[in-house]
Amino acid sequence: MKIFKNKDARWSLIWLLTITLISIWDAIFLNKPAAKLVVTGFVNTIVIALLVIVFTLVLGWIAAMAEHYLQKNRFLFVLLNFFFSLIRSVPQVIGILFGYIGAGILIQRGIVPSGAAVYFLLSLCMGVFIFLEMADCIRDRIEHYQKLDFYNAMLVCGIAEFRIINFNILWKNSRIHIFNKLISVLGIAVFLQCSVDFIISVGLSKVANEITLPVTLGNLLANIDSKQDILAIGNTLTHPAYFGHLFFEHLQGVTVAFCIVFSLLCLYHIANGYAERHKL
Amino acid sequence: MKSKILIHFASMLFITSIAFLLIVFINTNEKPKPDTDNAVELKGRPDLSFVDFSSRFQKALALDAMNAFFPGQFDKNNRIITSLADKQDKAFRNKIQDSGNKEELSLARFRNISGMFFKFLAIYAIVMLLTYYWVQTIGVWRFCRKKNGSAYAKSSASLFVNVIKKIILFSGSFLLFCPAYVIAYSLRTEINTDTVFFMIILCVISNGLLMVYSNKFYAFLIAESRKGYIDTAIVKNLNNSYAGNIAQGISFKAILNPVKKFKGHVFDNIFRNARFQYLSTIKEQASFLITGMIITEMALNLHGYYSYEMLRQMLYGNLNILIVMFLGIFYTVKATEIFTDILVYKENLKYENK
Repeated sequence: MKIFKNKDARWSLIWLLTITLISIWDAIFLNKPAAKLVVTGFVNTIVIALLVIVFTLVLGWIAAMAEHYLQKNRFLFVLLNFFFSLIRSVPQVIGILFGYIGAGILIQRGIVPSGAAVYFLLSLCMGVFIFLEMADCIRDRIEHYQKLDFYNAMLVCGIAEFRIINFNILWKNSRIHIFNKLISVLGIAVFLQCSVDFIISVGLSKVANEITLPVTLGNLLANIDSKQDILAIGNTLTHPAYFGHLFFEHLQGVTVAFCIVFSLLCLYHIANGYAERHKL
Repeated sequence: MKSKILIHFASMLFITSIAFLLIVFINTNEKPKPDTDNAVELKGRPDLSFVDFSSRFQKALALDAMNAFFPGQFDKNNRIITSLADKQDKAFRNKIQDSGNKEELSLARFRNISGMFFKFLAIYAIVMLLTYYWVQTIGVWRFCRKKNGSAYAKSSASLFVNVIKKIILFSGSFLLFCPAYVIAYSLRTEINTDTVFFMIILCVISNGLLMVYSNKFYAFLIAESRKGYIDTAIVKNLNNSYAGNIAQGISFKAILNPVKKFKGHVFDNIFRNARFQYLSTIKEQASFLITGMIITEMALNLHGYYSYEMLRQMLYGNLNILIVMFLGIFYTVKATEIFTDILVYKENLKYENK
């Protein structure tokens, strides 16, 4: 079957099937409130990561266009690069952590209503520190095609530069590159979100906490029940007979940890498979 | 090159200026605010700050005194006393919560932070060197394995051995994708995880750092191997065998060697060109590595370490110290960027015969 030959499709299927199997297992063996929490955490994590993709794409496109069109104005071009260089030099986790704390303050003061708006705000915080990867990808594609004859030929034919870049280069010839980048961004977003939520949930912020932020896999893992479950994994190293207990008595933590790692692994293979299939 | 270095220094100067301005701003705005709550209600009332409202007797006495001095306003007096008692209780709790946590940026504290920073830099340099080595080693190993793919398949002993190999590979990649906190918590009960050695290991193997960058390096190798000059070199009879067990091939020892050289083999050119491209990615790797270090220090609960201390200062709202510590991390990334730019520039000169 073709689906098993394509690495990306195969890993997508493996991801979906494994998560479904885990959900069924949890529905049977995990107590209802905990199972509900795990499902909510997983869904929230994926929803926020998908929103990050949208913000990354939009911000990345705006940044790439700005860089391209400001090339003619040396001062503004240097200023823009200077600004981008500043963002690049801030480790993503620190930037996002500051962003989350800012978001926490806004939520606490009631400036941002809780609910869907929080998801957008958190995604935007992450998007701001990831979008440059997308901007670089778009810029690379534009620069690559600018060197070819067809770019100048189209300009001479009177076709607007904006249309050449956005329709002929990006839409017709770079969709798969951009899509591949978006898959990687999904992986980065899941990793960063879980890590920042984990840091916040172990008690390193007064304003951003589990009350102000939505439940995700990261803050579920920092939960005391999950921590004890994860500690039990270490116990099996010296007491292998305890291994079986992990899947019944320590299900919450094990499920959360597995969902995070397995999702990251699958997204990595999906992005790789997609790149291999399209020879990127 | 000069403009790149100039931009780096300008951004360092810019961020430093902003940081100092922020510190000055914070220092001037940290004076205690006058209490304006109940200001209207307390106007004309006696100062009751000496009353210990946690004592029921003193509280009742204060209320009686208020009723005696301001008769006919029992509700208002009661409201004021309750409000003052709440405020005193809140102030006491805040004092206990913040005791020993509120700090100022003194010279002694700065020295203490500098010590942590140098330890952080040493760990950062070691982890960077280790990842630099392992990224290339894993990339080369994967490339040779791919090139030898058919030979491996033919020589495989049995299905069982293949399955075992697949399981080991899957477990290895699963481990490499584990965020540091998952590994740290899993091992905490059995191993002493609060050590620099364990931190370095965790920084290298966890958070997907090795997987992501070795994959990038592997992609560079693949892209390079498809170029025309490689076909020309093969036609010109350069060694092209990737078998590990023959003299003309690529041995496992050569792959593991810290200084990778494959003289007389077509792969030498592929490797050198791929490494040149990889050098540019060290900039983003630095930022990702620091992200990983922060997560690892948090996961291991390493008190007295730079990143952990920085996040602790964030929690207690010691903004002056937090800003100085953030500057340290910013300078580290910038220094790596400058170093990488110089390295790439020098390599460029070599390849362009300048």
